[in-house]
Amino acid sequence: MPAVRKLLLGLVPAIALAAIAAWSTCRTVGAGAGVPDDATWARAAARVRAGHQPGDLIVFAPRWNDPVGRLHLGDLIPVEMAGRLDGERYGRIWELDIRGARAPETRGLKAAEVHDVGGVIVRRFERAPAAVVTDVLTLPPPTTTGPAARPPTLTLAEVGFEPHRCWQVVPSAGQTVTLRWDQVALGGELVLGVGLADVFTRRDVRAPAEVIVDVGGREVTRARVGVDSGWVRVRGATAPGTAALTVTVTAIGREARDRLVCFAIEARR
Amino acid sequence: MTDRPGDPPADPPGDPPGDPTDTVAAAPPPEPGGDPPRADVAVALDDARFAPPDADAPVALELDDRPRAGLAPTTRERAAARSPSPTTARAPVGGPRAADVDRGGGWRVRLIALALFVLSLTLVLINQRHVGIVRDEVVYVGAGKTYARWWLDVATFEPKRTSEAGITRSWGGKGPTDNNREHPPLMKTLFGLAQIGLHDKLDVASEITASRAATAAVHALAIAILFLWVAAAWGQAEGVIAALCALFVPRALFHAGLACFDAPIASWWLLTLYAYWRGLSHRGWAVAAGVLWGCALATKHNAFLLPLAIAPHFVWVAIRAHRDPGPPRVGGAVIALGRGLRARWLSAVALIVLGPLTLIALWPWLWFDTYDHLAAWLRFHTHHVHYNFEYLGDNWNHPPFPWHVAIVTTLLTVPLATLVAAGLGVVRGLAQVRGRGAERGRTDAPGVLLILSLVVAMGPFLLGSTPIFGAEKHWAVASYTIAAAAGLGVVWAARRAAAAIAARWPTLPARPVELAAVVATAAIVVGAAAAETWHAQPYALSSYNALAGGAPGGADLGMNRQFWGYAARGVLPVLRAQAPAAGQPALPVYTHDATPAWGWYRKAGLLPASLPDAGHEETGVARSQLAIVIHERHFNRHDYLVWGSYGTVQPIAVLRFDGVPLVSVYRRPASPVVPPPPP
Repeated sequence: MPAVRKLLLGLVPAIALAAIAAWSTCRTVGAGAGVPDDATWARAAARVRAGHQPGDLIVFAPRWNDPVGRLHLGDLIPVEMAGRLDGERYGRIWELDIRGARAPETRGLKAAEVHDVGGVIVRRFERAPAAVVTDVLTLPPPTTTGPAARPPTLTLAEVGFEPHRCWQVVPSAGQTVTLRWDQVALGGELVLGVGLADVFTRRDVRAPAEVIVDVGGREVTRARVGVDSGWVRVRGATAPGTAALTVTVTAIGREARDRLVCFAIEARR
Repeated sequence: MTDRPGDPPADPPGDPPGDPTDTVAAAPPPEPGGDPPRADVAVALDDARFAPPDADAPVALELDDRPRAGLAPTTRERAAARSPSPTTARAPVGGPRAADVDRGGGWRVRLIALALFVLSLTLVLINQRHVGIVRDEVVYVGAGKTYARWWLDVATFEPKRTSEAGITRSWGGKGPTDNNREHPPLMKTLFGLAQIGLHDKLDVASEITASRAATAAVHALAIAILFLWVAAAWGQAEGVIAALCALFVPRALFHAGLACFDAPIASWWLLTLYAYWRGLSHRGWAVAAGVLWGCALATKHNAFLLPLAIAPHFVWVAIRAHRDPGPPRVGGAVIALGRGLRARWLSAVALIVLGPLTLIALWPWLWFDTYDHLAAWLRFHTHHVHYNFEYLGDNWNHPPFPWHVAIVTTLLTVPLATLVAAGLGVVRGLAQVRGRGAERGRTDAPGVLLILSLVVAMGPFLLGSTPIFGAEKHWAVASYTIAAAAGLGVVWAARRAAAAIAARWPTLPARPVELAAVVATAAIVVGAAAAETWHAQPYALSSYNALAGGAPGGADLGMNRQFWGYAARGVLPVLRAQAPAAGQPALPVYTHDATPAWGWYRKAGLLPASLPDAGHEETGVARSQLAIVIHERHFNRHDYLVWGSYGTVQPIAVLRFDGVPLVSVYRRPASPVVPPPPP
């Protein structure tokens, strides 16, 4: 018995090396087999199309697989939907995920239906959507005061490496710009999404910016965004009715040039 | 979406050398009070020029019998000559000794080195055919042609070429990047000479392939030298396995086929270290080390770090070789260091003098205003912009960077079997030193030098202030240390298995059993690395090892997808299929990171003229009818630019590697969308 044990002990390093070599080869060379192919995605997409209704939100997880998802279902995703403020205005959500990942838009929701299509998990969620009273992105350009390096533009921007449609304004360094819309219909809640656009100016200039939202002269919410903040969402309570909406954007500090402040606001019921 | 080269290479030659009296079967009896017999006793003492007096002095006398100017005998060498101890004088298994090579007796070693050189060169040249053109290559290849022509003009006595104005026209200029003067010229010059020779004159390769051949050759030389080094220090079997493990690192093989500086600087670095190590006892090698360091300096600024590996090693070697026997005394180390400097002054002087002189000789831009031009070169790199780089889910473009980037990236990109074998090799090495005691170890310390090399190469990235873009290519030389350790680990595991088998079945012939064990273990480990490496091409920058879970696992971890825009080559067939029919208007393509390579792809016949580059950013997108987006996290913005202009988020094709998206292709829908005005 000791002889056998000695033999086995002597063999352990070589056997371990061989086992690790075999396992690692399978795991790397065969890694692609763990990712669904186009045929599988086509079947998953067909499942979604069969139940899809106009206005349904479609999301993919993990985030790195988004291009493949859009390849198969991108025609059902308008640019406005892809660049949304958040997912709350969508009552029906289709989530297609692989490798056990989940999309943040469906966190806390219970799936109404789930299908495993060859490794693509198709989930449909339903919920009461947030009713949007006013989306400032649909409003005409605001009245602008203050020293702006670039005036406000409606654009699709990269904020925190995600797409967001927004009003983008660039105050002069250390300056404040005020944007005002009159007669804005309001609900009981106002949601502000804001961040600094453009990865290169975020890299080169590290100064933050601040956005304050006033309704009828009263501050409803504010957010301070830095280079690593990404897309920040904050909320404030409002009284239903109509009032002037003022957004004050400040590039904080004398070095704060090229702060591409990108924001979207929805007044929700 | 691209063709792949042929089958993986055959299993490594695996030629465990053989002294039939190897230590597994017939180890010498332990010395009184000493350690038990070990398979590697003789290996550790094979280079007896630095052997301790009680080790194998006869071999020392035999191997070191030539006069050495500037290399006086050390205290220990003198002691060794006085008190030979033939009981332990044994050649390592297979007889791998540097001196054998010097005397011409190492024909087998040289043959193996040559075979490894040819194998490396061939594999790299085959592989690079499928690798897209990386952004930097375009610049270096162009500059290289200019440099090479200048040298040829000088060689043919063209007038005014060596005047200040003549040099400036080809090598410099007022702008900080004129004629690519922010990078030293050696490899670019070789790229240019290779273009002129292999493309212009012989017409056997494209300009890009010809340029890449220069890198491939230098890399192949490093692979061969790694074999020679490990074979000389530890054994031929270890050397062969180390060389193959170094060859089969996915990203190393990828970089070895680019007309860039990263594989070359790793190669010159290794060549310098080897020459320095040999130069500790050979005047010619000491001189070569100085010249090779100059070549390294003339390749990339990483070479400035090399003295940080060499100097401590020199101090270590000098003190160990020259300290007085007996108990330590105050100032003993300093005295020993002084003796060491006196004995091996040529090594230090060659590096200090010949290194900078070689740099200057190879770089005409330094022939006038030397200080200013040197300062401008270094200033460019100390003030280099921080490129964006994804690491563990975050995009990094500003310090402080995570301290563990170099460690984690290495652990996730070198084949796992190689890493584990290297771990065994390190454990074996440490156990050897610990078990045998410092006094009895070899004093030229090749293991220490290789470890210092790794530490110095990776060290700057632990600081948090060194830019992390490019990742492993900036500490690529570390893979040589890992590969060397893997060679040791594989042979140790195999010999341990063979010893166990021999003990269990004593009637079995020990030598064939050990041979079979070494060949089998090496074949499995190297075969795994080869399979992983071949699978990773031509998108090796997106590949990750088994610890990460392959390329998809790397994506899950949020590791960098790729850089340099080379993957665009994979979608050229898709674009060609979209090309307009003859007589139809051209379809401009938004190419963003692949813009520099677009002309080269057209020149290579991979793109028709009807698919021109559309231009940059918003203007380029607005003008384009087709667009590609190369997927890196910070390039998401290009997706959004295209979506805004094309009015759709749907690509027409997505190039993937193991399911991981690399490049998306968009086509503007039939109804043009009015592009948004630029901000």
